[in-house]
Amino acid sequence: MPSSPRRVSLGQGSSELHVDVWHAHTLATPVAQVVATGQALLDAQLPGGGWPVGALTELLQSNSVHAEWQLLAPALVRCGTAAIVLVGPPHMPFSPALAARGVASQRLVWVQTTVAAQRLWAAEQALRCAGVDAVLAWLPQARADQLRRLQMAAAEYNRLLFVMRPASAQYESSPAALRLRVEPMVAPATHTENRVDHLQVHLLKRRGPPLDQALELGACSPALARLLAAVQGHAMQSSADAAPPQPEPESIYVLDRVAA
Amino acid sequence: MYWIALQPEPQPTGLQTDALVDPHTVLGWWALQYTPMVARVEDALVLEISGSERLFGGRKALLEHIYVSNKPVAQVSIARGATSLIALGRLWCGHTKTKPDDLPLQTLAAARAHAPTLQRLGCRTWGHVRALPRGGLVRRFGDGLLTALDRAYGQAPEVYPWMVLPEVFDAPLELLASVESAPAMVFGASRLLAQLRVWLQLRQRGVLALELLWELDARRSNAQHVDAHHTGGPAHIGRLVLRTAQPTQDMGHLQRLLTEQLARVNLPAPVLHLRLRSLQTQVLAGETQSLLPEDQRQGDSLHLLLERLSARLGADQVLAIRPMADHRPERMQQWAPALQSLVADGCKPQFRKHNAIKSVAIKAVDTWATGQNDAENPLQAGFYPSWLLNAPQRLVVQQGLPQYLGPLELLAGPQRIEAGWHEMEVHWALRDYFVARSAAAGLLWIYRERLAGAGGQDKAHWYLHGIFA
Repeated sequence: MPSSPRRVSLGQGSSELHVDVWHAHTLATPVAQVVATGQALLDAQLPGGGWPVGALTELLQSNSVHAEWQLLAPALVRCGTAAIVLVGPPHMPFSPALAARGVASQRLVWVQTTVAAQRLWAAEQALRCAGVDAVLAWLPQARADQLRRLQMAAAEYNRLLFVMRPASAQYESSPAALRLRVEPMVAPATHTENRVDHLQVHLLKRRGPPLDQALELGACSPALARLLAAVQGHAMQSSADAAPPQPEPESIYVLDRVAA
Repeated sequence: MYWIALQPEPQPTGLQTDALVDPHTVLGWWALQYTPMVARVEDALVLEISGSERLFGGRKALLEHIYVSNKPVAQVSIARGATSLIALGRLWCGHTKTKPDDLPLQTLAAARAHAPTLQRLGCRTWGHVRALPRGGLVRRFGDGLLTALDRAYGQAPEVYPWMVLPEVFDAPLELLASVESAPAMVFGASRLLAQLRVWLQLRQRGVLALELLWELDARRSNAQHVDAHHTGGPAHIGRLVLRTAQPTQDMGHLQRLLTEQLARVNLPAPVLHLRLRSLQTQVLAGETQSLLPEDQRQGDSLHLLLERLSARLGADQVLAIRPMADHRPERMQQWAPALQSLVADGCKPQFRKHNAIKSVAIKAVDTWATGQNDAENPLQAGFYPSWLLNAPQRLVVQQGLPQYLGPLELLAGPQRIEAGWHEMEVHWALRDYFVARSAAAGLLWIYRERLAGAGGQDKAHWYLHGIFA
């Protein structure tokens, strides 16, 4: 005997009733967990407010640009204490700098292979390991089906997975849940501010409406940014030579000592 | 007393992956978990279980344990009896309920030698022989038959050379056919591994190191060739040592490692014999498992991953870090094979000084120079780049400015590093580091080599050493 259907008014309550339905004009609320990126500007534009755990995130950057740590280090610090596997990084990770950002050097495992198939295999094996929190793979030649396989492994074992690819891969199809293109940019000097280095992040693909304008994030660690600001401020001051030397804060004094 | 007799059933001639190499030995090992009184009689095993009934909660529970919940490792036929000879007699005649007096005479081992004579006397069963006068029996057939009868009827104690579990696992295997390629040996080795697992389970140990030995067919081998491949040891013996970081009973993992290792072995001659030996084992503690299922993470542990990656890619391709105390950026860390530090430190890679004496010496220099180590100084470390080039890259200089994908703009510096004078001149670092900006590549860490001579500053070389990311 059919029960009488419950009447649902499609008024103000519809958004709570249909939480499973994703409207294309809003950001998706992912079922899986996320890890905050440490950059409020970026968090606001990512579904769930951070890097998705258990999904493939693709970072596209031209060959000479290496902005991985700036974007990923805060999330790697937050995601846990287990190992971080680097598959085929372009250069040697410098542990003192990473330790200063909070990424303990004991967590890093560097898989050094140049063969594309071995990199894919190693990345997939790492995703299947319980003692691994995040996998960072540099896969310049990966095909979409190979990435899909990694995406499935990341989803099954619920790990953070970042794949770094050249900027030319932007126009290839990809199963990634999130795609970003990163390029360095120098903000032009104004009369009040010096030239500041930024990272321009284009969100190419996300579970949400497309984002037209690029996000501007800091290009280096806060300590270095302070150092550069201090050095340039010092230079401007000495060239202008107008104001009497102000009592500098202690931190800047220390920075100057290192810089000099 | 309560005896069980077991006899492994003949295995089919076809190849079986789980077939045991030596079923009698393995069955004996399996039976040792119920009672220490296990003995091999001809091609059967006898075990006395009345001593351990109480431990397992009665005879019925123990028998159910043996028959149902923890089945023998091979196909067996089983018979029971009050003495071992009755159990064996029932096993061999095929009727498990026969009364001792009715057992045929062939099932008594001691009577087989006298079978024709006894046959002519009209004795066909144990009962017939037992009815004969004892004195005459001893005079006619000797002491052996009567003693055996006494034992069979429980009138004399039964003593056997009891089986013991060996301290070291060492099992040979003769291959059915000669094996030409190394990867094909995995099949034979997997049978040995199955036997190893039984041994490990009984010893409650995990294996840390084991070796696989193979004997080359001497007739078809070229002695020089063989020598070149397998140095140290007899020329016709090949050897492969397998090590794991943590004691394991997981034969699947060992087999994967073995497959990877054997893939690189080149056999100069066919192999006929295999041998597996445990080199190092360790008591295996039971795994603590969380009550809540969601606390357990999916997947295998990190050391298994590192071993698997190292086995396929090579140990020097899977690296973990060792911080070092030095001022030169390239010497502040050392990337060493992850397996080495894993084996040395136990389960996880940890902070470890590479060379205690050297680090103490450098530390002393550090303390004298700056008061603290750069790497441990978070303020200083904040200015280091996250990427370091494997080798500094020489930069072209145009109009006094270093170039890298266009002209570089020097933002901060110089930071002077002067270290390594006590080593060779090659490693002597006299450098001024700068933070430079490249329009294409972002912030870079470059240095100018300071030259000792006067007036050399203008001709100094510039190098790219790091990338801020």
